[in-house]
Amino acid sequence: MGAGKPGRSNAEWIAALQSSGADQAAALAELRAYLLRAALFTLRRVRHHVSHLGPGELSQLAEDCAQEAMTAVLQRLPHFRGDSRFTTWAYAFAVNIALVAARRERWARVPLERVLESGASPAALPGDEGVPSDPERSALRAEAIAAIRDGIEQHLTPKQQQALRAVIFEQVPLDELARLWGSNRNALYKLLHDARRKLKSHLAARGFKVEEILDLFVGGG
Amino acid sequence: MNRGQLERLLRLVARTEEDELSCSACFDLLPHYVDLEVAGEAPDARIPLLRPHLEQCAVCREEYETLRELARLEAEGRLSSTDDLGRTL
Repeated sequence: MGAGKPGRSNAEWIAALQSSGADQAAALAELRAYLLRAALFTLRRVRHHVSHLGPGELSQLAEDCAQEAMTAVLQRLPHFRGDSRFTTWAYAFAVNIALVAARRERWARVPLERVLESGASPAALPGDEGVPSDPERSALRAEAIAAIRDGIEQHLTPKQQQALRAVIFEQVPLDELARLWGSNRNALYKLLHDARRKLKSHLAARGFKVEEILDLFVGGG
Repeated sequence: MNRGQLERLLRLVARTEEDELSCSACFDLLPHYVDLEVAGEAPDARIPLLRPHLEQCAVCREEYETLRELARLEAEGRLSSTDDLGRTL
């Protein structure tokens, strides 16, 4: 493959991919090699997430990701604006597709419905266990916890509470929750963004700055 | 909710902005941002909305970190060959 040698310019990539015959075939083969390398690189970085797969299965997964990325790159080619190097733009597809696949493999055996149901309840916010007692600080902590609990329970929709529990508390990837709910990453990001905005407004209305609450729990005793 | 989960929630709420990029917009801007960063330019000055999204979104952040490393190694001529990557999977 051409990586490591002086590469094609962006204009040369676009022209070759949109040409025909031998020029196009060579550009397609070169692009596929770049995408396979990016997929292999990505899967190796998250090898611990896919440790149940053998080398043969991982190689096949990389091939599949490269193929899917190839399709995506060719479909989006008319939208390439040239702000970045063409190869960086193309790599982004391979990286995205390989990471989505790795997350799917990692979470495939985790029953997400159970995570959503059994995750930490907002009612079970941490108190002062194990923290040296300072009556004034303890009272402020209790007040802050009550405000957070109220914000979650009274101001977030059940869907927002579930998304918050899964994505922020249990660190379920957005892709995986989106797959479970038949949704997409953008919609879930917006759901959580709205939830964060509501919580921030609610805490401000109760007289709390979020940074001050953080200091109460993260700062010293 | 344990203390770590509470801290994570509060940090995300503290950094919440009225307007934030969507994941799709982040994906579209990421290659340019990464190229600027690898070239030693200041990506946040050119694309200011991207970093706040990366701080909020763990999956986009993972993709950014991977793409940045890939682009950096390639720019330095230190990216392993396909064969080597395949062998060390």
